[in-house]
Amino acid sequence: MSQSRENKTILQLERVSRFYRTRGNVFRGGGRLVVALNEINLSLRAGEIFGLVGESGSGKTTCGRLIVRLEEADQGCITLNGEDITHLKGKKLRDYRRQVQMVFQDPYQSLNPQVTIADSVAEPLITNKVGSPLDHMERVLKVLNTAGLSPAEDYVYRFPHQLSGGQRQRVAIARAIILEPSLLVADEPTSMLDASYSAQIFEILQGVRDKMGATIMFITHSMASARYLCDRIGVIYRGHLVEQGPAEQVINAPRHPYTKALIDATPKFGRAAEVPTYGTLLAAERPATTSAGCPFFRRCALAERLLCAGTYPPWHQVGPGQVALCHLLEDAAPAVNSG
Amino acid sequence: MQQATIKDLKAKRRALWRQRFMENWRVFMHNPLGRIGISLLIMFGLMAVCSYIPPMIDPMYHPMTGVDPKVVSSVGPSWQHWLGTDFMGRDIFSQLLAGARVAFLVGVSAAFMSVVLGTAVGMTAGYMGRFTDTALMRLADMIMVLPTLLVVLMLAALFGQLSIWMIVLMIALFRWPGVSRIIRAQTLSLKQRPFIDAARVSGASHLRIIFRHIMPNVLPLAFLYMTFRVTSAIVIEAGLAFLGFGDPGTVSWGMMLQWVWKTGHMFQAPYWLLPPGICISLITLSFYMLGRAMDEVLDPRLRDETQAG
Repeated sequence: MSQSRENKTILQLERVSRFYRTRGNVFRGGGRLVVALNEINLSLRAGEIFGLVGESGSGKTTCGRLIVRLEEADQGCITLNGEDITHLKGKKLRDYRRQVQMVFQDPYQSLNPQVTIADSVAEPLITNKVGSPLDHMERVLKVLNTAGLSPAEDYVYRFPHQLSGGQRQRVAIARAIILEPSLLVADEPTSMLDASYSAQIFEILQGVRDKMGATIMFITHSMASARYLCDRIGVIYRGHLVEQGPAEQVINAPRHPYTKALIDATPKFGRAAEVPTYGTLLAAERPATTSAGCPFFRRCALAERLLCAGTYPPWHQVGPGQVALCHLLEDAAPAVNSG
Repeated sequence: MQQATIKDLKAKRRALWRQRFMENWRVFMHNPLGRIGISLLIMFGLMAVCSYIPPMIDPMYHPMTGVDPKVVSSVGPSWQHWLGTDFMGRDIFSQLLAGARVAFLVGVSAAFMSVVLGTAVGMTAGYMGRFTDTALMRLADMIMVLPTLLVVLMLAALFGQLSIWMIVLMIALFRWPGVSRIIRAQTLSLKQRPFIDAARVSGASHLRIIFRHIMPNVLPLAFLYMTFRVTSAIVIEAGLAFLGFGDPGTVSWGMMLQWVWKTGHMFQAPYWLLPPGICISLITLSFYMLGRAMDEVLDPRLRDETQAG
C-alpha cells in the first residue's frame, strides 16, 4: 500500500467515553454506571483498513455505533475531516451519514424482511434524494455487482429470506457503499458466516477500499481476520484501548499482555505445539482492590501487585507507530500521546 | 439502461409478488379452517349481493316495506315465500339476504376503522415511547375496560335511535384499544431490530421508518386482528338491534330477532327465529375461522422458508 494516502487523518476520536446506566427503580434511585468506552483516543487515516479487536463486551461495537451516530458519546469529541460530529442533529446529521455508513453484524436481522433487495439497497439514495428512480435501479445493479452478487438482475426482486447469509451480507454491504461513503464501519460482518464466505466478504471490503478509496473501520473479535484484512490494529479491553499499531507489528510482536492473550486464543492448525504461546492470561480472575489500576490487572498473569493494581498504566512507544498501555515495558520510551 | 433489461426486471418484480401471493394462498387453503371459512364467507357474500334481486322481482319482496297483501299474520314456508313471512307479511328470505348486506357493512367497516385507529395509535405509542406511550396506553386501558354494548346502549337511550353509521362509529371507537396494544408490542420489538438501525444509518427519517419499515411488518398482524374485530362488531350490532336500539331504517339479523321476540313468535315460528340466529352464528364463525387460517399464514414458525421472521 502506498504511504502517501495514509497520511491524512480522516476520523479522530478524542477521549471519547460512553456510559450505560443499568435500570434503577423508584426505591433504589438510578442504577449502576457501566463504562462501555473509557476515554478512547483513535485516529483513522484516509484509505486504511483499521481493525478494532476485542472480546465480547469490550466496547468495540459501541465504538462503531458512536461513529455512525446511532448513539451519542457522553464525553469526548469525534471529528470527521476536522469537523466535530459528536452532537450533530437534524439535517447536518443526515448529511454526515452520507459520508459514513455501517455494515451490521447479523445479516439475518439487518435487512427488513418485508422489503425487497432492490428497495433495501436503494434506500440511502431515496432518503438522500439522489437521482431518479431509473438511476436508482442502475446504481443498485452496479453496486450489487461490486458486492459480488452477479448477475445482479437475479437478486433485485427477492426478499431477504430467499437469500443465504453470505448473500444477505453482500446486500448489506451494497446498501452501505451505494452512496460511496468515505468511511465504512463494518461491525463483525463475518461473525455469522461460514469461513469460506468470510474470505469473500474480506475481498469485497478490500475492493471497496481500493476502488472507492473508502476508509474502513473493521470491528472484529478475531485476530486472524484482523491480520488478513487490516493495515493497522487497535486492541480494546473493557472500554480501554490497550494497544495500537501496524497490523504486522501488533501480531508478530505484541507488547500488551491482553494482545498476547488474544493471539494465544487464535485457533492453530498443523504443528500447533511448535507455536510458542505467551501465557499472559490468568486462568482465574484475581480480585482487584481498587478500580484505579490497570484495566487488565484482574486477568494479567504478569501483573505486579503494587504497581499494576494501584496506578493507571502510561502509554509506551514500543515500536514504529505502535503504542501499548502497560506498566511492564521498561525498555520502551513513554509516549506522550496515544494517537 | 436498455429497454429490455427494464422489461425483464418488471417481469421479475411481478413474478415475485405473484409467487408471494401464491405461497400465502397455498398455506391458507391447506388449512381446513381456512377452506370452510372462505367458502362460508363466499356464501354470505353471494347472499349480500343477491339481496338486491327480490325487490326487483316484486315490490312485495322488499325487506322493509314490501308486504304481501294476501298475508295478515306470520305464515310458514311456501313457494311464494321460501322462508315464510313475518307478522305483517314481509318476506323473511329477502330480509335474511338484506341482513347479510348489513352484517358485512357493519362488520367490515367497523373493524376497518378500529384497526386503522388501533394501528396508528399502537405504532405511535410503540415508536415514540416515554410520555406519549404512557398517555396513549392509559387512554387505551380506560376505553378497554368500558363494556362496549352497555355504553352504546346508554348512548342510544340518551340520543334516541342511532343510525347504522353511528353504531359503526361507536363500535370502532370502543374496540381499537385491543388492536393498539398488540401493535404497540410488535412495534416495540421491531424497533430494537438491527434493520431499523440500518435504516437510520441510511438516513431515513422517523416517518419513513414508521411507514416504510415498521408498518409493513405490523400490517399482517393488523389485518389478522381485523378479522376478529369483524366478528365482535357483528355480534355487538346484532345485540343492539335485538335489544331494540338498532337503526330502525335497516333490516339486520338482530332486528329480525327482535321482531320475532317482540311479536311473541319466539316459540311459535321456528322458520322465522332460526335463520337469522344461524346466520349470525355462522358468519361470526366463518370470520373467526378465516382469522385462524390467516394466523397460520402469518406465523413464521409454521412456514419452512422464513427464518427468524
